[in-house]
Amino acid sequence: MVRAVAILSLAVVMSEVTCANSAGVKGDFEYGQYLAAECVTCHSTVGLDKGIPAIIGWEEASFISVINAYKSKELENPAMQTIAGRLDDEQIASLALYFASLPEEN
Amino acid sequence: MTKLNRRQFSTLLGSTVAAGALSMPNITGAASHGAKPKVVVIGGGAGGATAARYIAKDSKGAVEVILIEPTKRYYTCFFSNLYLGGFRDYDSIGHGYDALANNHGINVVHDWAASVDSSNKSVTLASGASISYDKLVLSPGIDMKYDSVPGYSVEAQTKMPHGWKSGTQVQIIKHRIASMREGGTFVMVPPPNPFRCPPGPYERTSMIAHYLTKHNPTAKIIVLDTKPKFSKQGLFQDGWERHYAGMIDWIAPDVHGGIKNVNAATMEIETDLDTFKADAACIIPAQKAGAIAALAGVTDGDWVPVMPASMATKADPNIHVLGDASIAKSMPKSGFSANSQAKVVANAIRGELTDSKVFDARFANTCWSLISENDGIKVGASYKAGAEKIDVVDKFISKNGEDEATRKATYEESEGWYAGITADMFS
Repeated sequence: MVRAVAILSLAVVMSEVTCANSAGVKGDFEYGQYLAAECVTCHSTVGLDKGIPAIIGWEEASFISVINAYKSKELENPAMQTIAGRLDDEQIASLALYFASLPEEN
Repeated sequence: MTKLNRRQFSTLLGSTVAAGALSMPNITGAASHGAKPKVVVIGGGAGGATAARYIAKDSKGAVEVILIEPTKRYYTCFFSNLYLGGFRDYDSIGHGYDALANNHGINVVHDWAASVDSSNKSVTLASGASISYDKLVLSPGIDMKYDSVPGYSVEAQTKMPHGWKSGTQVQIIKHRIASMREGGTFVMVPPPNPFRCPPGPYERTSMIAHYLTKHNPTAKIIVLDTKPKFSKQGLFQDGWERHYAGMIDWIAPDVHGGIKNVNAATMEIETDLDTFKADAACIIPAQKAGAIAALAGVTDGDWVPVMPASMATKADPNIHVLGDASIAKSMPKSGFSANSQAKVVANAIRGELTDSKVFDARFANTCWSLISENDGIKVGASYKAGAEKIDVVDKFISKNGEDEATRKATYEESEGWYAGITADMFS
């Protein structure tokens, strides 16, 4: 249920933040891959999607919106707020670039 | 082990670097000029397996990686409490090393590291073989300080298991709680700080209470703590009151006066307050870095001082120590911490050996604990490398009074994390 709420609020946030993705900051793929190592401990790179959502293959704009929503605490989950809270725009864009490159699960 | 579907399998195959060709490198060859740089990793747990995997995966074959781990199947300490509580079967917490060899070309050597010659940069195995290295990663976890509990010993651990390194010891605990007489007493002695998995003894208490509530509801649990307070104390004690009222008696050291003696033959635990007769017991002694760390000459006291930005030891820049064996203050000794530190180590080592880019050291940890069915709690933080220690950036902890949905989601999150971290270590 919490997750359903999170996804719902996520959709709302995303619709409100269209095209506002981090003021056009460009991501660095290699940096994104390094930073992503922190994410995949829980989210995995093969989209296990069990208890914790799979984040591979997301569109960059969606990824950026969601991380920013955790950063601003619009989305709940203290673990994600802590992780997102210290990411700057370049780091978020780099992560978005990397995760978008991973093939989405069927 | 997580099953891969056809597409996931193809993805992994796609990232495989000449696995066949690299599966049997010559381990006795010198780390000579012109050859590939060689990294030897000792210990195949959350720190070592992750470090080996990231160095091999991200160097794309440019670095030879040898992983030394005595066991062929690794049973995780994390989630071993859920096995005790009946939420997991034993097989589900066991993992093999085949994928590290097949997918990443890591040479997995099942042997004990017997000694380290840091001046000649070589490791000798129990079998007698010698392996040279350019960089050595030690992730040996913990050893028990048996004599920290009067009367306790390696011989006593079968009747009074510590169960703090997973494996057979945890299976013995499961057997002993299942064999307790009706209305019997389980005695738990948690270790003094610092130790592996700070919330672990209290999650274990919760899981044993969960089991006993179902199978032996008049049984009692006595926790004779060696510390006046413990991790997530308010959350655990609130949960114990809600789920196991009257079953668990946690006794602080200023009340019981300290553990004076344990006797495995009579199953008695003696304190100033009373001598407790146990039907089953779990005695977790004080701990120290796994023995190879001291043999490598990098310890200071019981643990290993490291440089926060690379986890290189203060004693030898070519030996990196991570996980429970290291002094990684302010991070707790946890599987999550070790996995996080491994990525910093891998990045630093690749940078030194292959001139790849070295990024800012950053760390994270979350410790989930299960109190009862669908009642999960968590504590965690993000960290950065300071000059002298690893500093907290931000932190969080579950709160008393959270609704059932939140607690259930926290438990489900922990299941997701288990699947994620074990894939991050072993796939």
